[in-house]
Amino acid sequence: MTDAMDKAAGIAPDDALYATRRFRPEFVQGAEACRLAVLQPANDQGLERDLRLALARRMAALNADAALLEEYDRQLAELRPSERIQAVASGKTDLNEPLATIVRHVDLITLTPSRAEAKHIAALAGAGLNNPQIVALSELIAFVNFQTRVVAGLRLLRSA
Amino acid sequence: MMSSIRLKPLNWHPYIAPVELSEATPEQLDAMKVTPSAKKVSDYVRTLAHDPESYVARTILFNAIMYVEGGLARPDRELGALGASIVNGCKFCAVVHARRHAELTKSDDVVTALYLDKPERLGPRDAAIYNFARRLSAVPSEATADDIAALRSAGMDDVEIVDLIHAISIFGWANRLMHVLGHAEPAK
Repeated sequence: MTDAMDKAAGIAPDDALYATRRFRPEFVQGAEACRLAVLQPANDQGLERDLRLALARRMAALNADAALLEEYDRQLAELRPSERIQAVASGKTDLNEPLATIVRHVDLITLTPSRAEAKHIAALAGAGLNNPQIVALSELIAFVNFQTRVVAGLRLLRSA
Repeated sequence: MMSSIRLKPLNWHPYIAPVELSEATPEQLDAMKVTPSAKKVSDYVRTLAHDPESYVARTILFNAIMYVEGGLARPDRELGALGASIVNGCKFCAVVHARRHAELTKSDDVVTALYLDKPERLGPRDAAIYNFARRLSAVPSEATADDIAALRSAGMDDVEIVDLIHAISIFGWANRLMHVLGHAEPAK
């Protein structure tokens, strides 16, 4: 069965790379379990699924990944997102709190993680996020940046 | 001849209060057992235990990518991790994986070349891995078909390249936790 990575990288079951990926079932299953753990967790810590998908869509755009962007758009559309969630997804920055602080953090850590400092975590706390939310948001940011790297690499390998 | 770099381990300090074991929920306690060295529960693990679900899923995947048998040689995975950590600015991760690379290869040459910013001293295989790690870690990715070609001419097959893609990518994840949720200091 094709998974989210195959889909985004354009790998079909009859591609050689489909079988090559399955040489590592622990990577295939592990990445899928991680995707579910950050995008539709059993306990969302108060960061709801539409916000998580909107942020994922935003990060796919920062990574210039058209396939993932389209997929996150599709999933988000199914949830009939509010205007403010659509603004998060589309990369807007002039938002109400805590969304303004959240998207500023998401953009910074996606594009320039090396510039992360204590003050950025303090800003999240100042915007009202509790520790579980700060960690859950960090894992979501980190996952999408993992996913975009894997997909970019697999895409190159598939066409090389 | 370069004198070799001796890297000392760093300590990591979180910016938020980690979960106290005495106050942890059953799910958090269960999650923290997933760590490979369960002797002491580190500040890092207790910090991530605030969201046990993502912590458990990521730890299983991380351990598979870095330690699974066969496929890409362990030092090559460590070099991928190191390249990513340098781009992403995670000093803590860079030192850990530089030291592990040196231990596994019983040589400081590669680590020394990278810490002195002399990547031209790397052999062709290490250079192909390091360059790919750097370019795949850029946002958006700057890796190209030439990087894949370089890995193949260094003798890597597709299973090994898939392993390498994952080793680099999982540090696009790990670096965004370690360097974002806390900071590193020289061990006292």
